[in-house]
Parts: sequence; C-alpha cells; structure tokens
Amino acid sequence: LLGIEDPYIWTGYLMAIGCAVVCVIYGLLKWNEDGDEDG
Amino acid sequence: MRMVDTLTFGAIAMVFIAATIYLGWFGYTRTKKAEDYLLAGRKVHPIILALSYGATFLSTAAIVGFGGVSGQLGMGTIWLIMLNILLGILIAFIVFGKRTRRLGKRLKALTFPDLLGKAYDSPFMQAASSLVILIGMPLYTAAVLIGGSRFIEASLGVDYDMALLGFALIVTVYVAFGGIIAVMYNDALQGAIMLIGMVILLALTYSLLGGIEVAHADLTALTSQVPGGLAAIGHQGWTFFPEFGSSLWFTFFTTIILGVGVGVLAQPQLVVRFMTADSDKVLNRAIAVGGPFVLLVTGGAYTVGALTNVYFYNEYGMLSQDYVGGNIDSIIPTYVNEAMPELFVAVFILALLAAALSTLSSLMHTMGTTAGYDLWRYMRTMAKDSRLNFKDVLHGNEGASAHAASYKASQYGTVVMIVASVIVAYYMPGSIVARATAMFMGLCASAFLPAFAYALFNERPSLKAAKASIVIGTVVWFLWTALVHIKESSVLGISEFFFDKPALLGQPWEVVDPLMLALPLSAITLFVVAHATRAEALEGIAVAE
Repeated sequence: LLGIEDPYIWTGYLMAIGCAVVCVIYGLLKWNEDGDEDG
Repeated sequence: MRMVDTLTFGAIAMVFIAATIYLGWFGYTRTKKAEDYLLAGRKVHPIILALSYGATFLSTAAIVGFGGVSGQLGMGTIWLIMLNILLGILIAFIVFGKRTRRLGKRLKALTFPDLLGKAYDSPFMQAASSLVILIGMPLYTAAVLIGGSRFIEASLGVDYDMALLGFALIVTVYVAFGGIIAVMYNDALQGAIMLIGMVILLALTYSLLGGIEVAHADLTALTSQVPGGLAAIGHQGWTFFPEFGSSLWFTFFTTIILGVGVGVLAQPQLVVRFMTADSDKVLNRAIAVGGPFVLLVTGGAYTVGALTNVYFYNEYGMLSQDYVGGNIDSIIPTYVNEAMPELFVAVFILALLAAALSTLSSLMHTMGTTAGYDLWRYMRTMAKDSRLNFKDVLHGNEGASAHAASYKASQYGTVVMIVASVIVAYYMPGSIVARATAMFMGLCASAFLPAFAYALFNERPSLKAAKASIVIGTVVWFLWTALVHIKESSVLGISEFFFDKPALLGQPWEVVDPLMLALPLSAITLFVVAHATRAEALEGIAVAE
C-alpha cells in the first residue's frame, strides 16, 4: 500500500488514521449532546 | 547544526512573543477569582480545550525524540500514535473526561488534588496527592526546560543559561499573572503553530522525495542497508515492523505500552483540563479536534523521521543515524536545517519552542496551584486558626478572606515553583534528563490511576482503599526506582551508598520498569482493601439489624 509492503506498518497507519476519523465522527455526531447533566 | 538566519527568526519570534504577552494580559483581565485562575471559570471553548490538551500532552521530546527513534528504527512507531489517539484522546475524553468534569463540578473541585480530596472527603488524599505532584513534577518540568534551552542554544546560538532564564521569565509572566486562561489560550496558539509546522514539514518532505509512493518505495529499497548490529536484534527495514519476538520487538512493545503510558490517563495537568469544560458538549466537540491534532503532529514527525534516511542516503550515501553521529535526537533538527527552505527552518524552530512552552506552562500552573491552593490553605489553617479543622479547609469553609487569599497564594505558588524548577534544572544530573519524562508518568500512574479511576466509577468509594493504594503505589515506585531499576538507581546513587552496588537485584529485575510493578500492586491493594472494607461494612449492617 503506497510503497509500504509490511501489513503491520500499513495496518498501523490505517488504524491511526481510523482512530482520528472516529474522533471526528464522534465529535460531529455528539456536537450538541450534553449527556446526563448531573453536575 | 547550521544556524538559522537571525533576522528572519528574530522577526517571527518578536511577533510570537508579543502574541504570548497579549494572551497573558487577556488571561489577567479575565481572572477575577480563584475559580478563574484555576479552571478558567469552567467556560473554555472546545477548540481551545482540544489544542491546549494536545499541545500539553505532546512536548518537544515527543516530537524530536520519537521522530529520531523512527529515523533509527523505522515506521513501527505509528502504533504509538494509534494508541495515543485511542487512549490519550478517545478513552481519556469519553470514559474519564466526562466523569471527571461532572464529578469536579458537583464537588466544586478546583484542582486535581482538590478533586481527589473531595471525592474521598479526605484532607489526607488532597495533601498526599499534592506532595506526590510537588516531588515528582519538578523533575519533568526541569527536563522540558533543559530540552528547550539546549534546543535554543543549538539552533540560535543563544547562551544556554540565557535561554533557560528567558524561558522561565516568559512563562512566569503569563502563568503567574494570567492563570489558566492565559495558559490555555497560549497553548492553543502554540498548538496551532505545532500543527502548521508539522503539516508543512510532512508535505515538503514528500514533495522533496518525489511523492508519497516513491518516497516509501525508496525507503523500502534501503532495507539492505540496515546496520548489522540492528539487523541482529530484529530490525527488518524502516517500512517493516521488527521481527516478532526479537529483542527490538520487545523494546518496541514495551516502549509503546509504557510510552503511551497508561500514565496519560492520570496526569494532573491533563485531568484539570476536563474540569474547565462547562458541559459534555464541549468535550465531545474537543474530541473532533484533538484526534486529528495528535495524528498530524506526531504522525508528521514520526513519518518524516523515518524518511530522513532516504534524504541523507540520496545526498550523502549515509543513513540518518550515521549522518548525525549517532545522536538520534538531532536527526529531525539536522534534517530540517539541511533540507528545508530558510523561512521554514524559522517556523519549525518556533513550532518546537511552542511545544516546549505549552508543556512547561501547564506543568508550572499545576505545581503552582498545588503549592498555593492545595497545600498552603492547610498550612495557613494550622498556623492561624485552631477553631477550623482540616475538613473545613477541604470543603472551603474558611471564609471569604481565605478564599481571596488562596488566589494570591496560587500566584505566589507558581512563581516559587518556577524558581524551584530552574534550580532543579541547574543541578539535575544530565543522565537523568532523558528518563525524567518516563519517571514522572510512571509515578503518576502508580500513585494516582487506581484511586482516581475508583473515585470516578463509584458513588461511595472506600477511603481506606484509596489511601492504601496511593501509599503503596508511591512507595513501591520510589523504592524500585531508587534501588532496583538500573537506569535510575545507578544515577541516583542511593543503592550504591547503602549496599555498595548500583542496583540491589540483578537481571532480569534491574530492567523491569518501576511502573510494571508499582501500578499492578497499587491496583491490587485498592481492590483487596475495598473488598475487605465493604465486607466489614456489610457485617456492621447485619449486626445492627
């Protein structure tokens, strides 16, 4: 993948990027969600 | 190292320092009471929160140090980034952050020791955690201070002592006067500079090396050049993970697990950030910014670190680590100086200074408020007013004048701790600097993580269990560090003094990280004591019935 042969490396890249994408999606989906407000 | 054009850097640095001082003043004008100084009135904007958290989390060492490791050992460090985002952002914010914010708001806690103290209704917990912070944090602070000053000395030719004092002075001005508002807004500015610097570095590197795919393929083609010594311990090339089960594989594995540090979850200067948010909404939005921030800043540095081998090999027929004479910390700075355009060199130096400043200012603020807010109020009560007991202090029942005084005390505390850190930086043995970051994270995790997590996830946590856990975690960590773990014990000299040998136990114990022993023991202690006290309490109820 993109010049990298070792699956342990490109999986690492895909997962790192994936985690960052999950952060963005989570943030956007819960943009206005306040959760259970007990404080 | 070739030095950057002083005029170019001078002009950029002046604008940066002016902005820093302006944000210090901005914080000062918006700080009216202790809650503003300590928690920005719990009203921080999500983008400021995310950048501040990220910039505090990633110091210069995380960029230059691990960038250099990638230059030597290859792209396997990407897993460190993956775990940093997963644990340091996703788990930290969603699982720990939200609960911390709610608990902090409900208990009206203003600092990390204050949160522990109030969660357990125990002045002991507040005082003990304060002491651990005040003993452990100056080490880490001094290491960041030394790293930043050495970097200024090397890249700008400024005298080391001047650089150190200059750093301390800038931080004093904005932290002591502007409190956490100034710290977090400056963090955000510094984080933005780090982000821009790293993205440009990555883009220019790929363009210099002929594109993404070509650069990676060229790096793969260097596999046959792996030095024999490294190949023997499992190095299979810079685009390959070390051979499974080899000693390099173990090094990678422990560095990744320990480097991420479960410790990230219990670092007081990061935990306090969660309490500056006024709702879960702010934390949710901050996650969307924080994840990509960590990915781009560290991903940029580590990928470029590995790719420097292609550049140095094409230019000089040498690998990065050989070109810099074995000191892998200088791989990234040397590459930037050699390969990047002049203007970018100045931007990059600024980005690294920003990384050091953002970590430094947050540590200073945490130490200052710990000394001035958490500890000083108890000492004042002991000295002045015998009618008050420690529980009154814990719950802030000392009266309005004492409350106003605690704000001033936090400011004085900050100045005192900055002076203390500068002194530690002058006297700390050089060989301990590289270890100080890992030491601090290990201590935080061993002492705080079990008790902190227990308080977050239990309505009525057992105080006895938390006390036992924090004491066992701290004591075991200190004993193992001072007497067994050779990397520290040989430098500290305590084992040598008492037992005439650098480390008390031989192989394999002397290479086992203190965290690996202290954290599990601290957690087991908490579990066992919590179970026992719960059984005691249930028995009590049964007898009463």
